[in-house]
Amino acid sequence: MKGFTAALLVGSLLSLSRSSNKAWPPHTVCRDGNLEVLYQSCDPLQDFGFSVDQCSKHLKPNLNVRFGIILREDIKELFLDVALFNKGSPILNFSYPICEEDLPKFSFCGRRKGEQIYFAGPVNNPGFEILQGEYQVLLELYNENHFTVACANATIICS
Amino acid sequence: MMSPTRLAGMLIPAMAFLSCLRPESWEPCVQVVPNITYKCMELNLDKIPNNIPTSTKKLDLSFNPLRHLGSHSFSNFPELEVLDLSRCEIRIIEDDAYQGLNHLSILILTGNPIQRLFPGAFSGLSSLQKLVAVETNLQSLEGFPIGHLKTLKELNVAHNLIHSFKLPEYFSNMPNLEYLDLSNNKIQNIYHEDLQVLHQMPLLNLSLDLSLNPLYFIQPGAFKEIKLHELTLRSNFNSTDVMKTCIQGLAGLKIHQLVLGEFKNERNLESFDKSLLEGLCNLTIEKFRIAYFDYPSKDTIDLFNCLVNVSTISLVHLPLNRPRYLPKNLRWQRLEMVKCDIEEFPKWELDSLKEFVLTASKGVSTFTEMKLESLEFLDLSRNGMSFKGCCSHSHLGTTRLKHLDLSFNDIITMSSNFLGLEELEYLDFQHSNLKQASDFSVFLSLRNLRYLDISYTHTQVVFQGIFDGLVSLQVLKMAGNSFQNNFLPNIFKDLTNLTILDLSRCQLEQVSKVAFGSLPKLQLINMSHNNLLSLDTLPYEPLLSLQILDCSFNRIVASKEREQQRFPSNLVSLNLTQNDFACVCEHQNFLQWVKDHRQLLVEVEQMVCTKPLDMQGMPMLSFRNATCQRSKTIISVSVFTVLMVSLVAVLVYKFYFHLMLLAGCKKHSRGESTYDAFVIYSSQDEDWVRNELVKNLEEGVPPFQLCLHYRDFIPGVAIAANIIQEGFYKSRKVIVVVSQHFIQSRWCIFEYEIAQTWQFLSSRAGIIFIVLQKLEKSLLRQQVELYRLLSRNTYLEWEDSVLGRHIFWRRLRKALLDGKPWSPEGTADTENS
Repeated sequence: MKGFTAALLVGSLLSLSRSSNKAWPPHTVCRDGNLEVLYQSCDPLQDFGFSVDQCSKHLKPNLNVRFGIILREDIKELFLDVALFNKGSPILNFSYPICEEDLPKFSFCGRRKGEQIYFAGPVNNPGFEILQGEYQVLLELYNENHFTVACANATIICS
Repeated sequence: MMSPTRLAGMLIPAMAFLSCLRPESWEPCVQVVPNITYKCMELNLDKIPNNIPTSTKKLDLSFNPLRHLGSHSFSNFPELEVLDLSRCEIRIIEDDAYQGLNHLSILILTGNPIQRLFPGAFSGLSSLQKLVAVETNLQSLEGFPIGHLKTLKELNVAHNLIHSFKLPEYFSNMPNLEYLDLSNNKIQNIYHEDLQVLHQMPLLNLSLDLSLNPLYFIQPGAFKEIKLHELTLRSNFNSTDVMKTCIQGLAGLKIHQLVLGEFKNERNLESFDKSLLEGLCNLTIEKFRIAYFDYPSKDTIDLFNCLVNVSTISLVHLPLNRPRYLPKNLRWQRLEMVKCDIEEFPKWELDSLKEFVLTASKGVSTFTEMKLESLEFLDLSRNGMSFKGCCSHSHLGTTRLKHLDLSFNDIITMSSNFLGLEELEYLDFQHSNLKQASDFSVFLSLRNLRYLDISYTHTQVVFQGIFDGLVSLQVLKMAGNSFQNNFLPNIFKDLTNLTILDLSRCQLEQVSKVAFGSLPKLQLINMSHNNLLSLDTLPYEPLLSLQILDCSFNRIVASKEREQQRFPSNLVSLNLTQNDFACVCEHQNFLQWVKDHRQLLVEVEQMVCTKPLDMQGMPMLSFRNATCQRSKTIISVSVFTVLMVSLVAVLVYKFYFHLMLLAGCKKHSRGESTYDAFVIYSSQDEDWVRNELVKNLEEGVPPFQLCLHYRDFIPGVAIAANIIQEGFYKSRKVIVVVSQHFIQSRWCIFEYEIAQTWQFLSSRAGIIFIVLQKLEKSLLRQQVELYRLLSRNTYLEWEDSVLGRHIFWRRLRKALLDGKPWSPEGTADTENS
């Protein structure tokens, strides 16, 4: 009986600590014969949905993507940071402005905290062939005050 | 088996303990500014928390499932100015929900699926200026119970289900309304009566955003004689025809700024041509902006036919291709072209144009001369263009230019020194590739220039007169360039008005002592990301106004040796982080200086040591002077010890015999013998015996008692008897002074022979030979026995030098001490006997 009580106590403590430090479940963007793309939200506040219409190691230019999220911050301005790693070493790093305050490019720019965003359309990517290997991509969207809007840890496995 | 009561008795304290573990569950909100700002975002609150101070002015309750706002929900917070209720799943807002919030100026209701708004839902709110009801299932403005909000300035009802553009009657109650966002609704048609209220109560400052509404029809004349500040229509039209008729429907509108265009992800039109904008001829427009009409067009000239009288025109992402000609008599004063892909640099003659911005365009590779006589403001940044010649009146075709931005371009060849452009106040070349900038005094004629940026322009400063003539310059940015020999000479002679200087990332290793000698107004210097090896304060001493100095990211090990860190007295911020500080005792003074000036230093806790290895990564403040004192002590102690040891050794050597006396016996004794030694010598050598031997042995330490025939032999006794009785019998040792005369003297030989016999009989060791002078071998051979002895035994040889004498006497004393009863017991025994 004492053992049971102790187990109960330990169990409740563990569940408390886990609830304060939850990780979002990994999602699959696409899985094809040679290519598998997975992602996991690294924003502690929220998970989000993302998908691509094509799943091939021969990446086409201007991919159509779908992206849905509920904003936790206003996005008067929005920036995207992309970092690509292979086996822990950085390969590529770039920052790209998505929303500018004056005459923004996309219709979701300027949306507010609490508003929903659903983007379906092409992204301005170059076409190239994904080399064999396993890659990690860290994507972060942040606003003019450097608050994270969305964050994803993606894994690309190309065989 | 445990009884249920006992189990409960164990569980209840456990639960109490658990709840104590999370005290924040009772007070979940984040206090941003005490008593003023509280953030309770996403805390799963289903009612308004009651533990927040009543003085709160900003309250964020977003992302909590409040669901229902009853009356007087916020009566606890009468001071509230900002209330954020985004995504609180609010479906019902009852009458008087916000009653009492007389200071509330911003109310945010974004993302609530409101199903029922009571007619008095927003009652109270007498100061509300901004209401955000985005994505709230709002069906119409007419039924939105906000008619009494007279102070309202901004109403954002975007992303709703509003079908009608009918501006409700109550707008006439809102004289301050400046911004109405109706974008992303369902408005299709705009009729004349929809705008009736604006005829009654003109809202001249109203900006109206109707983007992303599927507009289909605007009744002609609907906007007639209406004045608005701004109207935005982006991605509204499904086809060019619809767009054409709708724009014609705007006829009669007087507007300060009209924005047309699309969003990149909301593209509806199939093509774009000049006829689309024909309707604009019936509007009075001050500023016209057009964005993201991303369709290839051929007849751009005619596009602007109805925009002749516009004062400002801005084109964002509009492909213009070859805009060779523009309509004549344009009255444009400002033309802005952003991301407009053009194939060649426009050669327009626009006499009225004062400001021209052409940035971020692709396709233009070379700048060609332009002729815009009234131009005062020119921004050609981010085009990747090359300039074969720059810059003078002939290149830019104007003499009135005040602002010139050529940053982020390709190669710019500085072929002239701004002849005819003396009015320039602002000049930016950053991240372009400047050629010949350091060949002559490029900026000599720019006596009015206040701001100059040549950062990252691949300039290597060789010519020291590069900045001559810039007498009004206040800001100079030249980061990311280089200097000859990585040495900063005094190139700032004329810049007496300079207040800000950026020299970061210039690979500088050394700074001339007079580099900043003529900059009395300089307030800020950025020297970060250079290769400075030491902190040399001398160049900064003349800078009486200096307030901020940044020397971070250098390789500074310490300050220059033995130099006082004397910075100008006005300095308030000194950044020395990310350097290669050596936390060694050698730089103890500098490290102490760092500690004493921690108020001055930026992020002093982040200043870490890189040397020595055991201090690597440690904060500089953790360096303790005690370590230096300790090593100093160690050094001084060891030096002292060595000195002491050698002193003791010298003393021991010097006072060896005194010590022997002290250690062995307090009063040395000769035992049964009266004398220490009987001296056998030739009377010819008596001088030596008297002056040297007697003097040294009897008056030295320890004192020896010698038996000398001239002194100790008892008169009246036979010489032989004296020799035996007084000499041998009473002496422990026999000293034989061998010399030429000794061998020749019979008495001496006799004495020596007796000594030998005596030695044999009394079995006492103890004949000490002193050879006074070199003996002739032939003479010595006459005394066969002596010769044999001398060749077999160690004898003392008299040498008439300082060192020789010293050694002689030490050896002799040692030999005389040998066999002497030293031990105190021995002494006692002898004394007793």
